Amino acid sequence: MKLTLRSENADRDLLLISVFTFFTVTLWIFFEVLKTAKTTTVSPTTAQIVTPLSPNVDMNTIQTLEAKKAY
Amino acid sequence: MAAFNYKQEYQRYKKYYLNLVPLLQQPVSRAYTTIIFSFLAISLFGWYAIRPTMQTIFELKREIADKTDLNQKMEEKISALIEAQAVYQDIETKIPVVTDALPTTPDAIRALGQIQSLARESNVQLTSISVPIVPLVAVSTASGQKAGPTKVSDVAFTLAVTGMYPDIKNFLEGIVDLRRVTQIESMTFLLQRELSPEATQSATPTGTKLQVDLKLNIYYLST
Repeated sequence: MKLTLRSENADRDLLLISVFTFFTVTLWIFFEVLKTAKTTTVSPTTAQIVTPLSPNVDMNTIQTLEAKKAY
Repeated sequence: MAAFNYKQEYQRYKKYYLNLVPLLQQPVSRAYTTIIFSFLAISLFGWYAIRPTMQTIFELKREIADKTDLNQKMEEKISALIEAQAVYQDIETKIPVVTDALPTTPDAIRALGQIQSLARESNVQLTSISVPIVPLVAVSTASGQKAGPTKVSDVAFTLAVTGMYPDIKNFLEGIVDLRRVTQIESMTFLLQRELSPEATQSATPTGTKLQVDLKLNIYYLST
C-alpha cells in the first residue's frame, strides 16, 4: 500500500515534469520558427542596391539655374 | 581494483528489477508510464527532428518571398535606370550648370572672383573681403573607408562694399541672382559722410554713398 502511494506520487511528479518539458519544447519551437519566419534573408548590401530610384529630373530647377548669372 | 563480474552484480540488483514488474502491471502505473514516455518522446523528437525541419521550411518560405520581392524591386530599378539613362543623355550638356551652382569642392577662389566681377559690373567698390576658414579641397574620407552620404557645407565670406544706393541694390540683386548657391546671412548698412558730386547737386538719397557689410554663406557639396 505504502509502495503504491509512493509510486503514484512519483508517477505524478514525473508526469508533471514531462508535461512541462513538452510545453517548454513546444513554445521554444514555436518562437524559433516565428523568429525564422520574421528574419529577412536579404543582406543589407542587396537591400541598398534595390533602393528605389527616381529617374525624374527637375527641369524647372535646371532652367532657373541656367537663367542665373555666372562669371 | 576488482574486475566487473556481471553474474555477481546481476544477482545483487536482480531484486530491484523484479520489484518493478508488479508495479508496472498495475493499470494506473501503466497509464502514467505511457503518458510520461509519450510526452518525453514527443519533446525529444520535437527538439531534434521537428524543430530543424520546421525551421528549414519557414526559412525557405521566407527566402522565396524575399527573393520574389527582390526580383520585382530589381526589375523596377532596372526600368528606372534605363529611364534615368535616357534622361541623363538629354540633360548631359546641362550638368555643368548644376556643378557651377553646387560644386563638389569649396572652390572659394572662384567664388571670390565671381563676387569681384559682380562688384565691378555693379559699379561698387569692394573695400574688404575676408574668409575665416577656406578649405581648399573638399574634406574627403580616408582611403579604404566607405564614403558617407553627401551633404551641403558652406564657406563663410565677410565683405564690405561701398557705392551709390542703386549700385548697391544692383550688387545685392546680383548676389541673389548668382548661379553659385549663395545665402546672405546678414547685411549692415552704413551711411558714409563723404557725399558724391551727384549728391551735392541733387541732394537726393540716390546720390548718397553707402557702405554695406555682408556676411555670405557659399555652399558646396561635401562627403
